[in-house]
Amino acid sequence: MQGIILFVLLASTYLMVIAKRTPALIRSFRYQSLCLFGVTFILALTQREPRLYIIAGLLFVLKVSLIPYLLYRIIRRIRVSEDLGLFINPQLSLLWALAFTYLSWIFATYLVSANNAILIGTLAIAFFVVSAGMFLMVFRMTALAQIIGLLVMENGLFLLASTVSGGMPFFVEIAIFFDVFVSVLIMGFFVYRINKLFTHIDVNKLLRLKG
Amino acid sequence: MMIILQIILFIASAPLLSGLITKIKNNLRMRKGQSVLQPYYNLAKLFSKDEVISETASWIFRVTPFVVLSSVLVAAMLIPVFIFVSPAHKIGDFLVLVFIFALGRFFLALSALDTASSFGGMGASREMFISSLVEPALCLVILAVSLQFGSTDISAFSGVHTITVSSVVAALALLLITLAETSRIPVDNQETHLELTMVHEAMVLEYSGRSLALIEVASYIKQLIFFFLIAQIIFPIGLLSGNLTQIIFWFLWYLVRLGIIAIIVALVEVSVAKMRLFRVADFLGFAFVLGIVATVCAILGV
Amino acid sequence: MLNFLTKNIFLFDPLSLFFLAVIFIVSLPSLIYSFNYLQGEYPAVKIMLAQVLLFAFVLSMALVVSVNNCLIFLIFWELMSLVSYFLVVFDTKNVKSIQAGLIYIVMTHIGTAFIIAAFMILHNHAHSFDFFAIKNACQLMPSQTKNIVFLLFLIGFGTKAGIVPLHIWLPYAHPQAPSHISSIMSGVMIKTAIYGIIRFVMFILGVNSSWWGTLVLILAIISCLVGVIYALMEHDIKRLLAYHSVENIGIILLGVGLSMFFISLNLSYLAVFSLIAGLYHLINHAIFKGLLFLCAGSVYKATGTRDIEKLGGLIKKMPQTAAYFLIGAMAISALPPLNGFVSEWLTLQAFFLGASNVIGGNKLFLGLCAAMLALTSGLAAACFVKAFGITFLARPRSHYAESAKEVALSMRIGMLILAILIIIFGLAAALVIKLLAKVSGSALGIDISSMSFSLNNFTLSPQIAKSTYLSTPVLALWLIVFGIIGFVIYRIFGRGKSVIYKTWDCGYYKLDSRNEYTATAFSKPFRVAFSFFLLPYRKTQKIRESFYHIKSFSYETHTTKVFKKYIYDPVLVMVFKTAKSMRRIQPGSIHLYLGYIFITLLLLIIFMGQF
Repeated sequence: MQGIILFVLLASTYLMVIAKRTPALIRSFRYQSLCLFGVTFILALTQREPRLYIIAGLLFVLKVSLIPYLLYRIIRRIRVSEDLGLFINPQLSLLWALAFTYLSWIFATYLVSANNAILIGTLAIAFFVVSAGMFLMVFRMTALAQIIGLLVMENGLFLLASTVSGGMPFFVEIAIFFDVFVSVLIMGFFVYRINKLFTHIDVNKLLRLKG
Repeated sequence: MMIILQIILFIASAPLLSGLITKIKNNLRMRKGQSVLQPYYNLAKLFSKDEVISETASWIFRVTPFVVLSSVLVAAMLIPVFIFVSPAHKIGDFLVLVFIFALGRFFLALSALDTASSFGGMGASREMFISSLVEPALCLVILAVSLQFGSTDISAFSGVHTITVSSVVAALALLLITLAETSRIPVDNQETHLELTMVHEAMVLEYSGRSLALIEVASYIKQLIFFFLIAQIIFPIGLLSGNLTQIIFWFLWYLVRLGIIAIIVALVEVSVAKMRLFRVADFLGFAFVLGIVATVCAILGV
Repeated sequence: MLNFLTKNIFLFDPLSLFFLAVIFIVSLPSLIYSFNYLQGEYPAVKIMLAQVLLFAFVLSMALVVSVNNCLIFLIFWELMSLVSYFLVVFDTKNVKSIQAGLIYIVMTHIGTAFIIAAFMILHNHAHSFDFFAIKNACQLMPSQTKNIVFLLFLIGFGTKAGIVPLHIWLPYAHPQAPSHISSIMSGVMIKTAIYGIIRFVMFILGVNSSWWGTLVLILAIISCLVGVIYALMEHDIKRLLAYHSVENIGIILLGVGLSMFFISLNLSYLAVFSLIAGLYHLINHAIFKGLLFLCAGSVYKATGTRDIEKLGGLIKKMPQTAAYFLIGAMAISALPPLNGFVSEWLTLQAFFLGASNVIGGNKLFLGLCAAMLALTSGLAAACFVKAFGITFLARPRSHYAESAKEVALSMRIGMLILAILIIIFGLAAALVIKLLAKVSGSALGIDISSMSFSLNNFTLSPQIAKSTYLSTPVLALWLIVFGIIGFVIYRIFGRGKSVIYKTWDCGYYKLDSRNEYTATAFSKPFRVAFSFFLLPYRKTQKIRESFYHIKSFSYETHTTKVFKKYIYDPVLVMVFKTAKSMRRIQPGSIHLYLGYIFITLLLLIIFMGQF
């Protein structure tokens, strides 16, 4: 069961990397969060700790429902073209993703010497998700892509933490969720402002941050 | 008792030395010239004249003659003349002598600037220039002497001792320094009042009457002190005991030594022309080099 | 880490007490002086700010010299630098003050960086910030490390003290600060750097290589000569005094360097003696430089200008200030029987006694250093004849000087206190040396109970010398006696008339202030004699009406600022060029910046094993 969910998570991450338009990106993000919710729920069932149930629930509420809804609302409000602005075309991005999956699998094997295939796989996918988030931030032009990249990185780190150590301390996780939520709100506001000021949200055109 | 006698002897014989040098110079120039006692007559005349003081002068102008005279008299007290140990050797040593002369010179330069006359300013500027270049050479001479005799106390080189190369070279350097400090050719000309050629005379140009007499006496005594130091370094002798023949012998030897140095100085004054001011730096640099040579000889023990 | 707060962080050994005495001796008269000095210059709120800053400044300096812990030392050192920066730029409307403050703060932080580096190395060896723990650990330190730490401390504290070539901030900062602050900065703050050198190099690190002493001696001699030659060329009173501070720090370091030299040769009497000479000159310089800056401030307040070419004749209008300046000038020119003379005599005696007690070529080296010290003292006397003579004597040269009036009471009281201290420190030399012997002994860790430095309470006499004596009270007494005798002769003999008349004018009946000697003219022989170093150049400009008639002719002569032109400007140009070429990695694109971050992370993860 866990293997299938992890496979779907991987696929959704690939979908994110090759997405050309913003709604597709957000949709893939939703799938990814759903898979993450599944993993956490199974973990909660096996561990039988109440806090894990709460965290899974929060994950569902925030990352599967609320944040994608907020993101859709931003897109509707600013009414720019939904083009995501790619530096690297989707085919090359997919190649990159595959390469990075392989690299993270090697890294995971290096780290964990046990023969637990599920553990290695989860670790590898977690690293890959983090690097996919980095990829989105560096190689996509619009500000929305940066926000989503940040959220994806957070997803990856959450997966990593829950695999390695059975989850971070409870309050830390609550705090992280809250931070992520608030940051999405704020960034949404700022994207709106950037659009109002510059009539575009193409971050590549904001080149005044020079030394 | 000895102290008072020594100081009075010093003051008394100082103008005589200057008169002697002038007499020798005049003889070398094939003139009859003034008598040897002329400086005494000059001083007596100055004491009987009125003084004219500039209206821009302040209290520094009036105080300077006393400061200069007292500094020179204290310096005279530091020199051992009759006995091997000077009466005031617990007050200071050779270095103190140098700084005491600096005190007199400082006030003299200030009084020269006080009168708002260009001559004074010029004299002060040149005098401070020459004296600051004299200092390193003098310091090295003191070092050479103290290395040879063990301390910087003036009484240290007053005993009977042998003549060494180091002391001869040091005396030579001291001679050059004396020419600079006592305003003799080739550094300065005491007989002229042309602005291009005077240094010490320019500083005392505004003085007249009794103040001028005091300053003249001070410069005579300073000259005598320097000559005496040169003599002490090369061939000293002090009183060994107090009987009459010794005293007479000592007195004659005192006169003879000073006479020899006076002849040398007079010869130099007559044969060499006065140097341009900026060449005085080279002259004193030569004295500095002689000081280094004297120090090296003292280190080597020669 | 916080347990250092519970341990004893204050250290009151004789060295710290001595420096505390120096700080308070100079700061109290400056405080008294500042009451009337600041009145009328700034609004009342700003005056209160000035007093608060002054208080903070003095307090931070006092704490710098009395703590026992490297970290706290650094905190108060930085506090002292920052507060003095605010005081330097106090006159915020003046562009030059801001520029001076910038140069000062950059230089002092470069120095602090070196000091921090040295502290880090010491901590690495001793695993503690406490002075005594570091001192114990330093006995086992390898000598290569000791050399590096010594050089770091020398550069770091040398920047603050003003050793050439790190002195460049002094002539900018000291003229711009308010005068009582200049007197505290020049009198005390640069001495805390000397405290740092004595404490960290001699007390904690322990000297045992002879090249340390030689290096300090050479740097000190260069500072002396460069300082006094530049001072001779200056016509701004306060800048002249600032260059003299450079020279006097050189003289103090001669004493300290000699002491290092003798320690490494195991001549303990001479080491204590030369450190006494250095410390005596330190406190003397604090007092007379403080007095001179206060007098310069009085002149500035009374006339409105600091340029001595525009002054003159002030001795009749400001007699008390003139008298105090004269005492200060006599002290700094080392004239007997004042305190400057005693400390110069002690330093020269240290050289001569050292020359008698070392072997071979070192004798000549010490002798040459002594000769250079004599040269600087002669040049300093010449400079102060110029400064005092042109400022106070003769006729006023401009309307600035004509409208001068004597300054207010609190300023005069401040100057009077310091002038009295000069005389006391000159006459009571033997007593002061007894105290300083204890300070030096404790700083060097040498037992002085068997050493004697004076014959009785009036006469100085180094034990190691055969028969050298100096007795300033008796000297002063005889000077006064002979002066009185001269005066008596003056009154008794000859006629008693003196006539007041004009200065002799060669027949030219309209002498005015333009016929007087100027400061530029006074220093011309020195400019010519030292032209190989000063590199003077002139600019002339003729405006003609026709070929035969020149309407105006202007002539300027300048000396090249050698250090600024050949050392600092090239370094600055190189730094800016490097910074500009580094700008190419910052084109402004956020993606590139994020890419930098992620690549670094990736590289760190990949090479994690190596660390």
